[in-house]
Amino acid sequence: MKRKIPLAICLIMGVVMIIQFFIPHPISLAFNRTINNWVIVLMAFALILAIGNLIRHHGIRISHRQANWPYSAVTLLGMFAMAIIGLIWGIEPESLYQKIYLNIFAPLSASMFALLAYYMTSAAYRAFKARSLEATLLLASAFVVMIGFMPFAQYLHPRLPAFAEWIMQVPNMASQRGILFGIAFGAIATAMKIILGIERSWLGGKE
Amino acid sequence: MRWYERIAAIDRRIIYIILSVLVIIPFFIPFTMKQNIMPQTQRLYNFIDSLPPNDKAIILSLDYTPQTMPETHPMAIAILSHCFAKNIPVVGMSFDPQAPGLAIDAFTTVVDGINLNALTREDSVIYGEDYVYLGWKSGRVAAEIQMGESIADVFPRDYFSISIDSLPLMQRVKNYKQVSIAIIIAGADYPQDWILYPQARYGVRVGAGLTAVMSPKYYPFLQTGQLSGLLSGMKGAAEYETLLLKNGYVKQLGKAETGMNSQSLIHILIIVFIILGNIGFFFSRKRK
Amino acid sequence: MWGLTACAVSVQYTVFIILILAISIVPPTDVIAHDHPNDAGSSIIISWTPSQDNEQIERYIIFRKTLQDNEFTNIGFVKNTVFTFVDDQVQDTLSYQYKIGALADNKLYYSHPSNEIRSYPQNFHTGRINILVGIIIFGILLVIFVFRAKLGKKIFIRKIPGLEAVEEAVGRATEMGKPILYVPGLGDIDYTSTIASMNILGEVAKKIAVYDTPLIVCNRWSVTYTVAKEVVREAFATEGRPDRFKEDYVRYLTEAQFGFAAAVNGIMVREQPATNFFIGSFWAESLIMAETGAQIGAIQIAGTDQVLQLPFFVAACDYTLIGEELYAASAYLSRQPLLLGSLKAQDYGKLLVLLLIFVLTILAFLNINLLPILTIQ
Repeated sequence: MKRKIPLAICLIMGVVMIIQFFIPHPISLAFNRTINNWVIVLMAFALILAIGNLIRHHGIRISHRQANWPYSAVTLLGMFAMAIIGLIWGIEPESLYQKIYLNIFAPLSASMFALLAYYMTSAAYRAFKARSLEATLLLASAFVVMIGFMPFAQYLHPRLPAFAEWIMQVPNMASQRGILFGIAFGAIATAMKIILGIERSWLGGKE
Repeated sequence: MRWYERIAAIDRRIIYIILSVLVIIPFFIPFTMKQNIMPQTQRLYNFIDSLPPNDKAIILSLDYTPQTMPETHPMAIAILSHCFAKNIPVVGMSFDPQAPGLAIDAFTTVVDGINLNALTREDSVIYGEDYVYLGWKSGRVAAEIQMGESIADVFPRDYFSISIDSLPLMQRVKNYKQVSIAIIIAGADYPQDWILYPQARYGVRVGAGLTAVMSPKYYPFLQTGQLSGLLSGMKGAAEYETLLLKNGYVKQLGKAETGMNSQSLIHILIIVFIILGNIGFFFSRKRK
Repeated sequence: MWGLTACAVSVQYTVFIILILAISIVPPTDVIAHDHPNDAGSSIIISWTPSQDNEQIERYIIFRKTLQDNEFTNIGFVKNTVFTFVDDQVQDTLSYQYKIGALADNKLYYSHPSNEIRSYPQNFHTGRINILVGIIIFGILLVIFVFRAKLGKKIFIRKIPGLEAVEEAVGRATEMGKPILYVPGLGDIDYTSTIASMNILGEVAKKIAVYDTPLIVCNRWSVTYTVAKEVVREAFATEGRPDRFKEDYVRYLTEAQFGFAAAVNGIMVREQPATNFFIGSFWAESLIMAETGAQIGAIQIAGTDQVLQLPFFVAACDYTLIGEELYAASAYLSRQPLLLGSLKAQDYGKLLVLLLIFVLTILAFLNINLLPILTIQ
């Protein structure tokens, strides 16, 4: 029973939402909007559980003075501070909340993004070795594209930039589209398996 | 440790230090590398350059965030510089909530730079007459479609809460009929919706400025003509700055050129390290 | 004298009439109004044959009235290259009539009124029949191969190195006494890749329950967190080890993209997992996490449906699941016949699409364009 009810709900809702896609009637659209609103409400309740877990996890680390507990203190301080500031003083464009967001959070996010330059360099140095034919092709095309997009590429060979552009537009796009086809079918198959109850590992428990 | 083992296992901290130095150098020792202009950049430039002054406006949808700012912010500044130099009116807007701050910065940077050297009204750029910024709106796709009928219905007030009916520019730019092209500068998949809806329904031309990672996705749209031009990443911005300098619209290159110099040096660094790593790998394998 | 005057006047009059006729614009014709198909109602499409003097027309203005109204009202306009108009401001309970005014030199030249029309909602979207056919075909394939699997027919699946390494990866972490890190992607639970990741998490958690290895599952979204917690708890219960499940195994971090990446990096640097799983949807933060994992010496298995992130995972991880290998993982790890059968259906579905592309390409060379049958509305 514990597994049958979720499977039944999954089957009914899955089939109903597929049918809804083919019915443009206002009743069908209103139903779709209602379901989307329910999802938002569910997410809000799940957020309470999630934040509870966050507070519990970091609270235990602080109270037991576990290794690196100051980071947990900073995490909880940041969370409560932003929540209180937003609730009391609002989140309008000129509010303290927005100032903190734009002057602390946004630069921190940009800095994390900037780390990619370092990580790309060390990853390329470590991984781009001609161990096999495929690795050599990867290496060669990476070279051509990197050099081809540099300003002085035209001095090395006048057709190098165009060749680099061709690699991006033809073999790269072709393989991307092939992978996308596979992903699309995989996603369809996974969704149908879950709706029809063939795939049950998301439920856990014995089959 | 043999020499080939050393070069195959260089400490990554050394790599990071060299990288940091190479990124910083172009900011202190400026140099110019001649840009190879890509066809898609030239197309967008030619289109804007062909527009008559004081006629139809350009819609500039600034939808980028701080994370993608190094690539996209110079694009916004370059296009604004071009438009104002040619007296092409600009209607700015944003559909990403993080974008307005950056959009205002782009407008302020360009407008202040022009007005500082202006002697007459003709040389100046005046808010409300030469450009407006309408701010952020949610419901991006619905807003894009509705602007085909009336921009004022979507943005009754601008970013500064001024009623747009009172702005001289918006008294004549009512909908897409008075717009020559909509240029979207974004770090996300926004231009596709402009092609699907406003272009399909109202025939408005669309151009885009995207991060280098996203650009390949839009090459098919360039081939079909649905995109009138595309700036790809920081390179695209640097190319546009080069075109502006070459044609006398600006007196010096912008930040994208400096950024491209850093990027080029880093690419050379990556290539050098890859070569070193492979040399070390080959000799190690040969030794075994 | 009088005759001469009369003659002059009549000539002038004739010339005037000829001029009027010469500069008179032919209005548009054949104005037809019909209900907008495949919608929720409240929408009518008006189409017309353009004026023969279309080059002189500035725009076409559309006028509408209900049957109760006496006069037509202006509801919009289109430029002279467009000959249809969608009126989505109508009510389903009223009948309407339309006419088109061609504007030239500040004068309007009206067409005859259209037919009477009333809008109504449709019960079936005929523009999506192609999707329905696709679903039915794929469903049939699924049923066939699942049925064959149930009959006990052996199904061959090629080796997927990334999935073969899961057992080894879990064993490595157990031997080293270090935890296993599992990141189910940054997509919410409505992403199919996240659901596929949950399926794989269940299989991985079963192995972990047997070996009693610490587990860290990092979640970006609250719903994903609750689902992951239940999946892991149930996996431990299935293996008869419910007491070994700890609440701390599954964590909610933050919804901010780079905040999440920073938090995962911090966990990796502090807790030094021996094995990392990055399975799900990732974006720009993928390399930040994968490279940090490589630097701490963890064995890494990644899989994502975001094609643009695959190169970063290939460069930084030991094994990468590409494309549909991510969706095959659950069947591959559990080896359940039903799931293996569905994998076969997936492959044959792809084969059918390949044949369809090939046939349509050949037809296109013969100037037979059947591409509209693939258009989705």
